[in-house]
Amino acid sequence: MTRPIELETAERCFGSGHTEVVALYPTTLSVDRGELLAIMGPSGSGKTTLLSLVGGLDRATGGRVLVEGKDVGRMNPSELALLRRRTVGYVFQDLNLLAGLTARENVSLPRELDGAPLAAAQAQAAEALDSVGLGHLADRYPDDLSGGEQQRVAIARALVGGRGIVLADEPTGALDSLTGESVMRLLRVHCDAGGTAVLVTHDAAHAAWADRVVFLRDGRVVDEARPAPTHEFAIGAAG
Amino acid sequence: MSVKFGLLALLADAPAHGYELKTAFERRTGGSWAINIGQVYTTLQRLERDGLVTEPPSDGERHDYRITSAGTKALEGWFSSPVIADAPPRDELTIKVLLAVAAGDIDVTEILQRQRRASVEQLQAYTRRKAQADPDQDVAFLIVLDALIFRTEAEIRWLDASEARIRGLSARAGKAIP
Repeated sequence: MTRPIELETAERCFGSGHTEVVALYPTTLSVDRGELLAIMGPSGSGKTTLLSLVGGLDRATGGRVLVEGKDVGRMNPSELALLRRRTVGYVFQDLNLLAGLTARENVSLPRELDGAPLAAAQAQAAEALDSVGLGHLADRYPDDLSGGEQQRVAIARALVGGRGIVLADEPTGALDSLTGESVMRLLRVHCDAGGTAVLVTHDAAHAAWADRVVFLRDGRVVDEARPAPTHEFAIGAAG
Repeated sequence: MSVKFGLLALLADAPAHGYELKTAFERRTGGSWAINIGQVYTTLQRLERDGLVTEPPSDGERHDYRITSAGTKALEGWFSSPVIADAPPRDELTIKVLLAVAAGDIDVTEILQRQRRASVEQLQAYTRRKAQADPDQDVAFLIVLDALIFRTEAEIRWLDASEARIRGLSARAGKAIP
């Protein structure tokens, strides 16, 4: 069965010869359907590079990146645009929304760009906003929403129209703990319902919502973590 | 902390007997601290000796303890004082990392990463429990989980900072990363 995301010795270098800088050494990694994967690592470890390769914002200089079985590196600009409109949604730390559009218009935009009739696009937008608990704020402009609400709108926009893969780059970076948690809960719900998400973060408490945490250092995957069996921690130890 | 102030806080609400205090203590602390009934009675005896609670003469089957005015005062003092952790930290992890750094021939980065992985796996386990909890029904449990989560997160941030310091030192010394 095709996995939603597969990296086959994918590599990203800049420059050549003496000035060559390797942002990502040949990396093999796959993400299963229903999986929430977190990528952690210090600044400059290659986290964002890896995410950009998957989202088609950047191209691998070696190896292959497959999204739903298709080689992203071989896509032409219109195929990449199609990938982003139909398959992969992006959520960034900030600057996610267009200030001149309401929440509903922001969310319906990817569907309209994809050629969906306006009424259908808006109905899908309303549904996506409901799914993140913001149906009642659909007519607000981004400036009239809190940071947490804006991030939830961005997630609705990433999911609208049934896109199965969400790529999130520090989506909780500017939010307080509990608001960040509400964003993580949405990604968790998306994956529990059979979706797929890759999260880049330096925040361990948010990465902990993932099924698997991959650690990058200096452009290489060095380790990964999966949840400890719950019997290993005892709430209720004798005092 | 001893069980002492926990029992005083419960008795400040209403007089109660030993077994009621045991179950209320465990419920209010989110299941984070199981105490046995023997501990409860030993503590009550000490509180009574110090004049912080009284056990009125038995009027039948119940032996309800009551908080005294001295007990109320002691409890107020406890609630209004901040809790200061003991310093300097002498936990095993800090000492292990310090000794590894000093040894010079040990891969400290690897020690830090092994610990980081274990801590993240623990965080994942806590977070699973959190995802299943009901924010309206399980507030005490969620507050306990948050305490565990943020402490573990702090440890991971400390691991990250330690690694950055060690790497910075190696880079400045022109050496390979230890």
